[in-house]
Amino acid sequence: MTQNKDNFEKLYHDFNNLVYTIALNYLQNIEDAEEITQDVFLQIHQSLHKFENKSELKTWIYRITINKSLDFIKMKSSKKRLFIFGNKSQNEAEYLNSSNFEHPGVLMENQENAKILFLAITSLTENQKTAFILSKVDGLSNPEIASIMELSISSVESLVFRAKNTLKEKLAEKFKEYRKK
Amino acid sequence: MEKENWINEILNSTNGMTHVAPNEGLYSKIEQKIFLNKNVVSIKTVWLVAASIVVLISLNISALQNKKVTTNETSEAIIASTLNQSNQLY
Repeated sequence: MTQNKDNFEKLYHDFNNLVYTIALNYLQNIEDAEEITQDVFLQIHQSLHKFENKSELKTWIYRITINKSLDFIKMKSSKKRLFIFGNKSQNEAEYLNSSNFEHPGVLMENQENAKILFLAITSLTENQKTAFILSKVDGLSNPEIASIMELSISSVESLVFRAKNTLKEKLAEKFKEYRKK
Repeated sequence: MEKENWINEILNSTNGMTHVAPNEGLYSKIEQKIFLNKNVVSIKTVWLVAASIVVLISLNISALQNKKVTTNETSEAIIASTLNQSNQLY
């Protein structure tokens, strides 16, 4: 029992930064990222005995975190849609504030540019978003991303390429606003 | 050219990004949730208990009904026997 507790504590200390940062990259909100981190470690605690070493532990944790984050975004955007007809809820206001998100892991001199990038990332499709975040934000290699997403390396390459193109289009529109300033 | 440079600057703005540590109290929150989850009874158990109660109640009802029938039969038999005694032909 105590050994299980020690193992779990070690696992938490090894992976908490990774889980929290990924959640933060997706959700762009500190409270939400903490909530997801809690949920991820709860699930790890419940399902660790079912982990069959078919993939690396890190890959498994990446998958849980990504799935939880994507589900959370879906849930939040459906709540937002629900409140369109009513008064603005606190959740909706929080959602709209994502454009002001300052990622604590980004270098100080890049903060303003990163704000624009994170806002543009929200417009990507789920798979493009995951491929782009893992590749360009988290710095993983294509084979690592392919293993996490359970796709072929060429599919990952294509997803990253398409994500970049979509972002370039979005940013080109933003550039007009930037020039006006 | 300026536009492309600006776009590339934005796309590369996460270069050198580091992993961030969550709030220090997060681990104890997780421990609390694990403890609460352990003490929560599963839905399966709740349904099992509910089904057992229903079965127990229906068994009791049927037992009570059977008892009523037997009591009626016994009282009828007592009356009949007294009647027989008093209606003897001499």
